Amino acid sequence: MSNDLHRLVYYSRNKVAGEPGALEAAINGILAKSRANNAKAGVTGALMFNSGCFAQVLEGPREAVEEVFERIQQDERHGDVSLLAFGPAEARSFENWSMGFVGASVEDAARYGSLGPESGFDPSRLTGEALFEILHGLALDEENAD
Amino acid sequence: MPHSAPDSYPRRGFPPRSTALPEMATAVIILNEEREVEYVNRSAEELFEPVDPHGCTMPVLLASCGARGGEEMFADHVSGQDAEGTCRLRLVDERLLDCTSRRLSNGGYVLSLDDVTEHVRNAELANHDALTGLANRKIFRERLSERLADARQSGKPVAVLYLDLDRFKAINDTLGHPVGDALLRKVAGRLTGALHPDDLAARLGGDEFAVLQSGSEQPASAQALAARLVDLIGRTYALEGHTLNVGASVGVAIAPQDGYEPDTLLRHADLALFRAKADGRGAYRFFEHGMNDRIQARRLMEIELRRALALKQLRLVYQPQIHLASNAISGFEALIRWETPDGRVVPPSEFIPLAEEIGVILPIGEWVLRTACKQAAAWPDSVAVSVNVSPAQFRTGRLVETVASALARSGLPAARLELEVTEGALLEGSDAVTRTLATLRQMGVRIAMDDFGTGYSSLSYLQKFPFDRIKVDKSFVRGIDRNSHRLPIVRAIVTLAAGLGMETMAEGVETEAELACIRAEGCDGVQGYLTGCPLSPEAATALLAPSRPLSSTGATE
Ligand SMILES: Cc1cc2nc3c(=O)[nH]c(=O)nc-3n(C[C@H](O)[C@H](O)[C@H](O)COP(=O)(O)O)c2cc1C
Repeated sequence: MSNDLHRLVYYSRNKVAGEPGALEAAINGILAKSRANNAKAGVTGALMFNSGCFAQVLEGPREAVEEVFERIQQDERHGDVSLLAFGPAEARSFENWSMGFVGASVEDAARYGSLGPESGFDPSRLTGEALFEILHGLALDEENAD
Repeated sequence: MPHSAPDSYPRRGFPPRSTALPEMATAVIILNEEREVEYVNRSAEELFEPVDPHGCTMPVLLASCGARGGEEMFADHVSGQDAEGTCRLRLVDERLLDCTSRRLSNGGYVLSLDDVTEHVRNAELANHDALTGLANRKIFRERLSERLADARQSGKPVAVLYLDLDRFKAINDTLGHPVGDALLRKVAGRLTGALHPDDLAARLGGDEFAVLQSGSEQPASAQALAARLVDLIGRTYALEGHTLNVGASVGVAIAPQDGYEPDTLLRHADLALFRAKADGRGAYRFFEHGMNDRIQARRLMEIELRRALALKQLRLVYQPQIHLASNAISGFEALIRWETPDGRVVPPSEFIPLAEEIGVILPIGEWVLRTACKQAAAWPDSVAVSVNVSPAQFRTGRLVETVASALARSGLPAARLELEVTEGALLEGSDAVTRTLATLRQMGVRIAMDDFGTGYSSLSYLQKFPFDRIKVDKSFVRGIDRNSHRLPIVRAIVTLAAGLGMETMAEGVETEAELACIRAEGCDGVQGYLTGCPLSPEAATALLAPSRPLSSTGATE
């Protein structure tokens, strides 16, 4: 029971200040650490950065997802974390990614991400389901482009 | 001239060793006059394996096997000073040994080492909270006393942060203790994650935690930590498949200014916490002198309020509501007054929040409903009564029952009762509240939205529930004839309400000019000092007597 597949979707406000360079470095650091940690814990998912916000989907055994989320929740590099959805899932949607970065490239996101909502991505207006669909869609695009 | 082979080491008349010595469970080491290890029994040999102790001085032996402790005592050995005494050694594998050193008549020393690991661990366990692994209350108090003693010497400040969780009990009650316990562990994790290595965190019991902060700049550090804890612990938890939210409130007291005695400091931090919770939770407060008095005064008020109902110190007054098209009194809003034994009239804004907090709002709310219905039943059929209902009354799930009973007992037709709800009531558990309102409305009771426009999402509630009436908050009405920003707001509300088929009533009308504006904007009704002050039941009834002209209400037109 405790290890049933669960999915968690949240968005948060980015608090990494400074040059696009600093942001890019921070995101790359988060991705590297996430990939290593999540692979060990059996967690997969995707991360998106835009408009000064992070959006993330985590999926895996319930306890593992809760543990990863608990660490993320305490991370000072972001704040105002809004947990949009957390519950059992039928199957993994990011099977191949311990943590994929979707949307723009890290570099582009860091440079243009804060330019804002004209990109059409404003997580504060989305439900957990919708946000999940966006990340999933972007992930599929990305995989097909490879 | 270190010697390492025991057999080759000359025996210079050391005391005869008992045959039991090699077999003893206590590790025994004998040092010669040069303070070098001359003999070890089997237990001692095992302790230092694979290092061979023979011929080493104690500092060399301990260093070579990575053990710590005893530096001072063995330095005295080497320097030739008398070095009897006891010290605690910690081996690399974290085993703990108590080492006793005694001088021998020939100038050497005998050391006995007892393994106290288990003993110490058990004592430590007794000092820890089993659920969270944080220090317990006993240890917290001890450390606090120590740090305060240090602080007296150094003059450096020491801060105590008291923390407790808001809404924890509800989680424990609804989801069960295992979830509550898991939550406490996560809270403890977030708490320790926010601390400096020198800070000490403890669980004092239940959902109460404390942090001891010393060696930092105060009050800046305590303030930063308190703010961080309120933020961090207040963030959503994903736990056992649930999404949970609790808040944290924090009270802070700092030595020396808030006290030097552990108990004083703790009490003051607790008072500050009490203040933080009274100020609306999810906040932190520093202790201030005077808090004591204020809290004392509040306690007194609490005791008096609990008695107020029984002692009939509560009464209702009735403020006329005027229907603008006919200039007639369409109803009265029942307003509560509390007259304390010393003759002071306490305004509802002062005692209703307290009544909600201490749980006496329910009997008070029920009394208001029954009394108002009974009073209104004596009025002409065209006159209604409005009664305020508090969020707590919705929470009981018994509001419908109480209303039905008040109507039945008084004989007042449901259509002449209007219930005023605030956004606060709607915010909590929206669905259940909406269902209750719908049932009441089916019974024929009218529902009004009170203080419209002051909350966060007043608009969104309009589409969730078909109110009969919207009461436009006085902040939009006051000075509407002079403030160019208020008029368009009132106009918009009136238009919106009309579109939704709801009536409007402007509250707090105090001048003729305001009344003229409100009338011009098409509000259906008004209520305020201009058109009628709150009246005693007798005065209200007298006002309705057919012989009295309406102008005596003050509604000049
Ligand atoms: C937006 C955001 C997303 C993150 N996602 C993950 C993640 O998926 N997995 C993870 O292990 N850490 C993630 N982190 C990092 C964690 O907050 C934390 O720094 C990290 O897990 C610590 O790992 P360590 O204990 O191994 O050093 C994320 C951080 C941020 C700001």
